Amino acid sequence: MRRQVPLILCFVFGIVMIFTQFSPHSVSQTLYQEVISWALIISPFALVLATTTLIQTHVTRIRRRTEHWQYSFLVFVGIITMVVIGVPFGPQNQVFEWFYTHVQVPMDATMFSLLAFFIASAAYRAFRARTFEASLLLITALIVMMGNVPVGDLIWNTVLSWLPLEDGASGARQWILNNPNLSARRGIILGVSLGVISQSIRIILGIERTYLGGGD
Amino acid sequence: MRKTIRCLLVYLVLCIGISTAFSQGLTPPSNVTAMDTPNDDGSSITIKWEAAPERSSISGYQILRRIAGGGLEEIGALLPAGTTTYVDSSIEKGSAYAYVVRAVTETEATVDSEETAPAKGTGELFHTGKIPLFIAMILFSAGIVWNIYYARSGKEIFVRRIPGLEAVDEAIGRATEMGRSILYSLGLGRVEEVPTIASMTILGQVARRTADYETPLHVPCRDPIVTNVVREVVRTSYLDEGRPDAYNEDNIFFLTESQFAYAAGVAGIMTREKPAAIFLQGQFFAESLILAETGNSIGAIQIAGTDSEHQLPFFIASCDYTLIGEELYAASAYLSREPMLLGSLRGQDWGKFLIFVLMILGVVLELAGVNWITTLLQRVS
Repeated sequence: MRRQVPLILCFVFGIVMIFTQFSPHSVSQTLYQEVISWALIISPFALVLATTTLIQTHVTRIRRRTEHWQYSFLVFVGIITMVVIGVPFGPQNQVFEWFYTHVQVPMDATMFSLLAFFIASAAYRAFRARTFEASLLLITALIVMMGNVPVGDLIWNTVLSWLPLEDGASGARQWILNNPNLSARRGIILGVSLGVISQSIRIILGIERTYLGGGD
Repeated sequence: MRKTIRCLLVYLVLCIGISTAFSQGLTPPSNVTAMDTPNDDGSSITIKWEAAPERSSISGYQILRRIAGGGLEEIGALLPAGTTTYVDSSIEKGSAYAYVVRAVTETEATVDSEETAPAKGTGELFHTGKIPLFIAMILFSAGIVWNIYYARSGKEIFVRRIPGLEAVDEAIGRATEMGRSILYSLGLGRVEEVPTIASMTILGQVARRTADYETPLHVPCRDPIVTNVVREVVRTSYLDEGRPDAYNEDNIFFLTESQFAYAAGVAGIMTREKPAAIFLQGQFFAESLILAETGNSIGAIQIAGTDSEHQLPFFIASCDYTLIGEELYAASAYLSREPMLLGSLRGQDWGKFLIFVLMILGVVLELAGVNWITTLLQRVS
């Protein structure tokens, strides 16, 4: 019974939600909006779950004195500070905003900026011209990079002026992005779409039920 | 004499009036019709009229409407001269409206069309423009369902080899031999998203093997609901393998909802714990490269899979194996070898084959000057 009720609900709502995509009638659209808004009800529960799980995890770490357990105190300092300021004074409070703008935003930006170095290391590994495919990738990447910078056209027109291409590096870059790149992307998107439909049918029909976990 | 002069004056005024009207091209809009907008929820009426002649001096159109028993009221702003259609979306459902299209010249002279017959907005039960899409969906679904039942009859189904999934056992075995843990990330997707559900299914299979080998499995989650569902999925796998004692709930934990804080957290776990195998399966965004490169730097065997086509190049560059797009959805069938799941995979391939044939046929027909496939696809979109 514990598994049958979710399976029945999943089947009924899955079929109904598919048909709302084909029916513009107000009843169908109201139903669609209503069901979508039900999903929002889950958010407050998610918040409670998140807080509980986070506290449980870090209390366990402190109690068991696992490696770097001291950092778990920082989690509690962060949570308590933001709750004490945010709950009574609201998110528009200056101190609350200060913490957000001067602590969280710079930390996020720091992580994001690390991507530049990671891209460099990944590109170095991917573009090592050891095989024909890697060499092709290297040449393609060089053209795209040249097409992305203003000096690329200048280099192209000076060094590669003998090539029968009129629009220079930016034209070659655009051609690569519009033709081989876009074709490959569309192929992947088509496969993904069919995969999503197939997975959805398996879920709706109750064939795929790992997400339900155990129980009878 | 005076009578003759008066007659002449009247005649002159009439001539001037008529010639002025004709010189301005001020003829009323013709063939004005008002009808329920097709394929909507009944909240609009479409008004159509014929375009004014090119040399007319009409500078725009104003739409007027009358609700049954009421007076004429202007609706919307002045429409540009070339307009021939207007959709009135401010109607009350169930009420009948009659419309007049007023042509306006640059000198603000106006002329009204005849009033249309009253029209009502009615919601349609089925969007007729989506019929080809509906048929395609039914055909594709029928293909999958047929293959599922075909598989149930016990007939063997061939599935092509997917190296990324073949390597799952190798990765878990390696971690076991090295006495190190396995890290599994489901990415940033929420519980209702299909890639997350697909990832949970793969996790279920991975957990079965880790239960067998008694290898620690760490799953840092970005969504609290995902965390709880994942705990249940992994616990079930351990129970199914008869190893409930090996299941450790603390190893599946909520990290944070913030994208880059999650990336920092997972990268930190990788650096500290040094897992021997890392699975990155699900929905990933900009943090994908941070995770994959950190995993690469610690020398872990990495198996990634995502349907985000923008993140695939990063995974391919940094991971040992990558499940590209649809392979993520094929993984559960491939790993479990359950006939019904394999059947759905075969149905999926039928869909791909049909699309492939349509593409080839479309290109050939287009080259031959016949564009009915292109027209059909444009109508569907």
